[in-house]
Amino acid sequence: MNAETRRVAVIGGNRIPFARSDTKYAHATNQDMLTAALDGLIDRYGLEGETLGEVAGGAVLKHSHDRDLTRESVLSTRLAPETPGYDVQQACGTGLETAILVANKIALGQIDVGIACGADTTSDAPIELNEELRATLLDANRQRSTTDKLKTLTRFRPGHIVPRIPRNEEPRTGLSMGEHCAIMATEWDIGRAEQDELAVTSHKNLAAAYDRGFQTDLITPYLGLERDGNLRPDSSIEKLAKLKPVFGGPEGTMTAANSTPLSDGASAVLLASEEWAKAHDLPVLAYFADAQTAAIDHVHKREGLLMAPAYAMPRMLDRAGLTLQDFDYYEIHEAFAAQVLCTLKAWEDEAFCKEKLGRKAPLGAIDRAKLNVNGGSLAAAHPFAATGGRIVAGLAKQLHEDGKGRGVISICAAGGQGVVAILEGPEGAK
Amino acid sequence: MATETKKLTGAPSILPLYARAAAPLVPGASLLPFIPGGGGEIPDVRLEIDGVVADPDAVAAYAKVCDFALRDHLPPTYPHVLAFPLHMALMADGSFPFGAVGLVHVANKITQHRRLGIGEALDLRVQATKLKAHPKGKAFDVVTEARVGRQIAWESTSTFLRRGKGDPGAASGEAFPIVDEATPASAEWRLGGDLGRRYAAVSGDRNPIHMHSLTAKPLGFPAAIAHGMWTKARALAALESRLPDAFAVDVRFRRPILLPARVEFATSAGTGEEIDFTVRGRGERRSNRHLDGRITPVAAKTSPKGKAN
Repeated sequence: MNAETRRVAVIGGNRIPFARSDTKYAHATNQDMLTAALDGLIDRYGLEGETLGEVAGGAVLKHSHDRDLTRESVLSTRLAPETPGYDVQQACGTGLETAILVANKIALGQIDVGIACGADTTSDAPIELNEELRATLLDANRQRSTTDKLKTLTRFRPGHIVPRIPRNEEPRTGLSMGEHCAIMATEWDIGRAEQDELAVTSHKNLAAAYDRGFQTDLITPYLGLERDGNLRPDSSIEKLAKLKPVFGGPEGTMTAANSTPLSDGASAVLLASEEWAKAHDLPVLAYFADAQTAAIDHVHKREGLLMAPAYAMPRMLDRAGLTLQDFDYYEIHEAFAAQVLCTLKAWEDEAFCKEKLGRKAPLGAIDRAKLNVNGGSLAAAHPFAATGGRIVAGLAKQLHEDGKGRGVISICAAGGQGVVAILEGPEGAK
Repeated sequence: MATETKKLTGAPSILPLYARAAAPLVPGASLLPFIPGGGGEIPDVRLEIDGVVADPDAVAAYAKVCDFALRDHLPPTYPHVLAFPLHMALMADGSFPFGAVGLVHVANKITQHRRLGIGEALDLRVQATKLKAHPKGKAFDVVTEARVGRQIAWESTSTFLRRGKGDPGAASGEAFPIVDEATPASAEWRLGGDLGRRYAAVSGDRNPIHMHSLTAKPLGFPAAIAHGMWTKARALAALESRLPDAFAVDVRFRRPILLPARVEFATSAGTGEEIDFTVRGRGERRSNRHLDGRITPVAAKTSPKGKAN
């Protein structure tokens, strides 16, 4: 193993516009969308026929026939078929985790270039056979004689034709992601108005990013969609205030507007060593400087399900010798406006930072003007495994525009997990 | 004589055309003026329809049946599906010498000059050529063009054979490259008994020879047979990652595939610019060739927007 590590460059990204569930991409599979996102990246960076070190990708909602989704998608593209691919699954952390995996291999000199990617569809969602029907069919298959097979099949009941439809619920608590976040919002006393405000800012920032052409080389249109289908440039606090809560009961503060909708999409990011970038005459947008994944115990210790990024962040900052205020950009994934606000509040909270994070002083507040400056998941929507790639590519491009600077990414994930990462501008952090 | 051009405002409905296309099979029916089958020369008619835009959901369904990834550009065989109602209208016309049902599709050559975006409006042009001699009867071509603006972006020539008294002296066509039997298969395909119906649903080609053994038998086939254009599309889907933006793909339809079936796909891909491929029987039945094809890169045209799609 190499003792020396090397810098990892973010060369660029590509995604298809994100679509709300059951709209433009209703008939596209994870593999179709991942292939489309990869196609665009390959075209943009001239990767046709190239053998890459690897492509790491994933999806959260996967069919059993999505086995080796990433490798199969690679084989549909014009990358050299000798490019390996593998799947990763870490709920909404999947996309960023694939970037960490590829970046680490580049840093160690095991590969020179790779793609991190992800796709998710809630439209073409897996529907499973009824569990009892599945067991009956498998048992019948295990019988040797036709008579025994038929005898086993008599266990079939009409009710068995009702399939099992996946629910967005936490396996060990039975609560949905939104219900968990509503508990967090109550614990941290997050109000409705501040959540709505975050949502409106997200839409305004994303709309502005499209208007100034920022998205042009981050997106390839797909199936008639040129912009994210969820984007509402005319979103306003007044309009959002009229919505009824969807989580947390009638007194709840979380609505369809300050929570991300179910959506479909895919994204991909090209990472490489500086030598590879130079040899291919491709500019470096940013450097992938550091990353950290953490998990909390949401089952027995009653930690907030989506609070793990709050734990991951100080570990990474300490290692990097940075404070929370040392960043020009904060990209905090807006799974729910309340999740972002709980996390920011936790970092400012003396008791939380002392008791939970074991720190003498709180991490402190951030300059809100630096938060999700080109829009976040509330506006773009959130096809689970595609969000990490969207954020990495967007932040890298922003840092490239500025030349220098530093940005931090924070993504919460189901199962009580969180992934954070630091990107630095091509001419350094300062 | 000048070509008569008929401009259509919407795609003709296919099912009634099938009734007329099949009517010549009824003895004596072709004496009626509105039924094709008079047996004379092919009428010099060109059918046109402008501004045809593929329905993305229909493309998705087609892509699934043929195994294409659903991309932002059309599968290279898809304009043929868009033009199919025109083919039927042409051949179901009372002035057409034979009924379309009963014709044998023997060859198809598609040239894609550039990728066509799913949302692009295509102007379709369909015309049949004059009859030519064939060792097994008489043959003619149906030529289809898909234009974008003034540019031919895609074109296709389908050759049909009307079995009958042939001309043994007629050239049976130029020598066609064949992937030899020694070339190992790169894939084995399992084709379901319902494949003809599934492809009919996404292509509109509901010729009874593809639908069911009960409808195929009266027309001389022991079982329903796979659509030749499905077989061609499936082969292109298997080679999708290797297709250039602009290419020609020429195929010869050989023995029909009786459904259900397991067949082999073999290809010369990876050896040169041109890619030869074949769909054939498995193992000992390798000499049963169902389809032979060749892909040749051509010079790309750019789209009017200035960039290749």
